[in-house]
Amino acid sequence: MKKLLFVVLALLVCTGVAFAQAGVKKKRPLPYEYGRVVINNYSEGAGLAPVVFDHWLHRGLYTCRLCHVDIGFAMKAGGTSIKAADNIAGYYCGACHNGKMVFAGKPVFASCAPKKFTGDEATRCERCHSLGLNPPRDYDFARFTDGFPRGRFGNNVDWEKAEEDGLIKLTDYIEGISIKRPTLTIQNDFNLSPKVEGMPDIIFSHKKHTIWNGCEVCHPEIFIGIKKGNTKYTMQDIFDGRYCGVCHGVVAFPLLDCQRCHSRPVQ
Amino acid sequence: MKSFMLMLSAAIFASCVGAAYADPASDYGRVVINNFSERAGMPAVVFDHWLHRGLYTCRLCHVDVGFAMEQGATNINKAGNFNGYYCGACHNGRTRFGDKAIFPACSDVSALGEKKRCYRCHSRGVDDVQMEYDFAAFTKALPKKGSGNGIDWEQAEATGLVKPIDYIEGVSIKRPAIKPQEDFAIHSKSTWMTDVIFSHKKHAVWNGCEVCHPEIFPMGDKGSVQFNMLQIYDGEYCGVCHDKVAFPLRDCERCHSKPVQ
Amino acid sequence: MRTKLKPLIFVAVALIAFSAPTFLPVAACAAQAVEAAPQSDWQAEFDDICSKTQDAMAMGVDELKAVLDRCDKLKVKIEALEGTQRKVYLRRLEMCRGVFAFALESKEKK
Repeated sequence: MKKLLFVVLALLVCTGVAFAQAGVKKKRPLPYEYGRVVINNYSEGAGLAPVVFDHWLHRGLYTCRLCHVDIGFAMKAGGTSIKAADNIAGYYCGACHNGKMVFAGKPVFASCAPKKFTGDEATRCERCHSLGLNPPRDYDFARFTDGFPRGRFGNNVDWEKAEEDGLIKLTDYIEGISIKRPTLTIQNDFNLSPKVEGMPDIIFSHKKHTIWNGCEVCHPEIFIGIKKGNTKYTMQDIFDGRYCGVCHGVVAFPLLDCQRCHSRPVQ
Repeated sequence: MKSFMLMLSAAIFASCVGAAYADPASDYGRVVINNFSERAGMPAVVFDHWLHRGLYTCRLCHVDVGFAMEQGATNINKAGNFNGYYCGACHNGRTRFGDKAIFPACSDVSALGEKKRCYRCHSRGVDDVQMEYDFAAFTKALPKKGSGNGIDWEQAEATGLVKPIDYIEGVSIKRPAIKPQEDFAIHSKSTWMTDVIFSHKKHAVWNGCEVCHPEIFPMGDKGSVQFNMLQIYDGEYCGVCHDKVAFPLRDCERCHSKPVQ
Repeated sequence: MRTKLKPLIFVAVALIAFSAPTFLPVAACAAQAVEAAPQSDWQAEFDDICSKTQDAMAMGVDELKAVLDRCDKLKVKIEALEGTQRKVYLRRLEMCRGVFAFALESKEKK
């Protein structure tokens, strides 16, 4: 009986370490790796490497709203269930990756192929279906982000400041998909007070968020509370990927940079 | 309960026995890195923490530069070093330490002269690697305490004998400091060990906030994160640092220090 | 009766085969024309409703209720579509309707 208990306890401890969520320190992703999403709903089943989508290029060219609202991508890896047929029909990736849309003077390469892919077609497939491969890239991270204001952690780029300074100009409209609309009235910034003594207040800026997100990305799915203070959430909720943590820690600047939000000095 | 006691006693006994056959103080904190070295025909990398931790904060390397806190978990490669990541953040032939440029990491040329530079890090099993800094000389004037390196690094910093650097130009971005919380007691469930007095202030000097929070210690109300000594011995929570680089767990009274009433 | 039917069927098939190149494109066009009308119908409605989301907080309670009503009617039309078009537009409508519902709730709970 005692032996059994010993073995069970030992196993529990070992599994505890193996599946430890807290208590261990993970490796920080490199700047060009941060924001990487691996999509494998159907790739391997179709005999292709899983798709590797690095956010940094698209987020430096387009708003979050364009892809996540107008085109309708989910905000979780594998949540959209993109199929080759969808892309070929002009949905999801195929909304732009259709061989016709022009970007920077060139047509954007078409995603997916209707028949079996060999030779040249395979090279095109591997531009996205690239997990474990190292295909040549059109855009290099270091060159693309050269001269951008430096950020702490994540991509090591302050994207918000880059947009403010005009170093990047975000496209928020695709003809035939986006709806023409007037500009958004900006909501005011407001304070959020943390419960932990000594942590500076958070200054939340709607203005900074709506440039990238419009209304629909956050409301009502991520933030349902109508009035400030209605939705109660803790840092643990945020670290677990809810509320602010839906974006921050995954693609937007990581939660490790506490003072980017906790920025009002304690009076 | 009895099994738990048995395992705990076994762990403590093992570490005491280990102490009897302890490696030299300079070896404590040694990390051997071999993701790609031997595959590339080089000896494995031997990184002894004592020099870097006497010169820089833990936060600088493990947060700003981004090294993992587990042997082999960072996957450092030559290309990364050349691009200024990881070791290459300082070991690039340009960043200065004092009045000298820090030697660059890695090389594309395998001439003999270059090889000598490679062996400065890729040194496992290599005879007479000339080290620039000697442990005994470096730690001569530092206060001695306990096991591990046998150095009271915390006291050394408090008295100004070591001044850990917390900033690398082009890598670090300074933020306004957050005032550390007051010291507090962590209740020890056992009847034979006194409570732990945990000092945020002493830890924040070396770690800032980001080394520990939120990954090692999730935020929450005090007491919301439960862990025990077995997990610590397993390398979780306090054990991520202590027993590896920071003073070993064998020095019980350094933490279990609340005076018995 | 059977013997007489066979040659008749043969002639009918031959006639259709020879006239197909003329009539099929017309038939196809007609079919398209029949499909096109409802498609532009709901699409125009979708564009009209969902272009107003950023003004949601400035709209009155009655206006919001009317828009939500339109969303619900539009949802029925989109549910009649097929495949990925249905999936994508249902999702877009869900997000768009959500903003109006959010705004209405904030005004009603004031």
